[in-house]
Amino acid sequence: MDTSNPAVFVNAELLRLYMGRRVRAVIQVMRSDGGGTVTGQSTDGQQITVKGNPPGPLTTFVEVIGIADGIHSIRAEIWSNFGDTLDTFSYNRICLLANGDYKHLFI
Amino acid sequence: MITSFLLFFLFLYSQNRDSQTLIPLTVKQISEAFQSSDDKTNFLIDGVDVNNVKLVGILFNKAEMLTAVSFVVDDGTGRLDCFRWVNEAVDTKEMEALTNGIYVRVHGHLKGFQGKKQLMAYSVRPVDDYNEIASHFAEVIYVHSYNSRLRKQQDSSFMSAQVPSSSFNTPLKGYQASASNQFPGFNMDGIGGVHKMVLDYLQQPSCLALEKGVHRNELAQQLRVPSEKIMEAMEALESEGLVYTTIDDFHYKSTANA
Repeated sequence: MDTSNPAVFVNAELLRLYMGRRVRAVIQVMRSDGGGTVTGQSTDGQQITVKGNPPGPLTTFVEVIGIADGIHSIRAEIWSNFGDTLDTFSYNRICLLANGDYKHLFI
Repeated sequence: MITSFLLFFLFLYSQNRDSQTLIPLTVKQISEAFQSSDDKTNFLIDGVDVNNVKLVGILFNKAEMLTAVSFVVDDGTGRLDCFRWVNEAVDTKEMEALTNGIYVRVHGHLKGFQGKKQLMAYSVRPVDDYNEIASHFAEVIYVHSYNSRLRKQQDSSFMSAQVPSSSFNTPLKGYQASASNQFPGFNMDGIGGVHKMVLDYLQQPSCLALEKGVHRNELAQQLRVPSEKIMEAMEALESEGLVYTTIDDFHYKSTANA
């Protein structure tokens, strides 16, 4: 059991609070430059860039877990395809709850 | 009298069932769970006994052994060691389908082993609808709020009971068992005076824990209320279904735990 390195649920707005720390975010992929940067829309509608090379083709929605290395940027370690339909509103609500009143259940 | 028996059996039955419910949790909550010394009640989270839990996270470090598969689940709040016995072909098949790095939903029994917590999983299934991740954490938050609100309610009735403190000196045990089942949303506004005092007294953890309940003479004595008043209150509370008689017509118990 190890809780020393959690990945916090974030959207673009919350990302800036966790510079240098491990985060998880869902993006709707907008474009990939093929050179290690993927741009996507976070669950709150703002853009973020994800650095790193995805292990394979990405679906419309992707969850990345990695280190927050800029106010709008994540260095990805784990990519998970979440398919082509996703309720981003609910995911975004969880981001807010996990950083608000219920933070103690998560980090 | 028949209803009292019925309620009593319901009480036994539901107590057993309460401890068996599947509770959605985060690894962080599990890491902070209080382990009671009592063997039967394993862990305590938000005042509720936790045996069976549900986690949703990424599977890692899968290692197959002869009769078991060990793996780690990372739900983003922490990592928990899990263990799955594979005795039958169906178990083997379920575990074979899983690869490191995929999202899984794990149901299992939480166990303390040599001071470490681990999950004895009895179901490990891949997540195929990713909305389940957000919904799992929403459930976690809901169940946490539900259980801690019940606990707060009990705390306040615990404090407001105007009785000598001697009867409070019971360890946390009875309290835990009752925390999971008050009357959600039950309206107690219409109950006042002696009725309320009696009910508060009977709902103390120490009284809920007593199998035979409390004799009405004790109520009269402890609450310093004439026994006729107690009789009256008991009749009214019994007809409301809030208390019931136990071993005889003089011992009463609150239905709050049933």
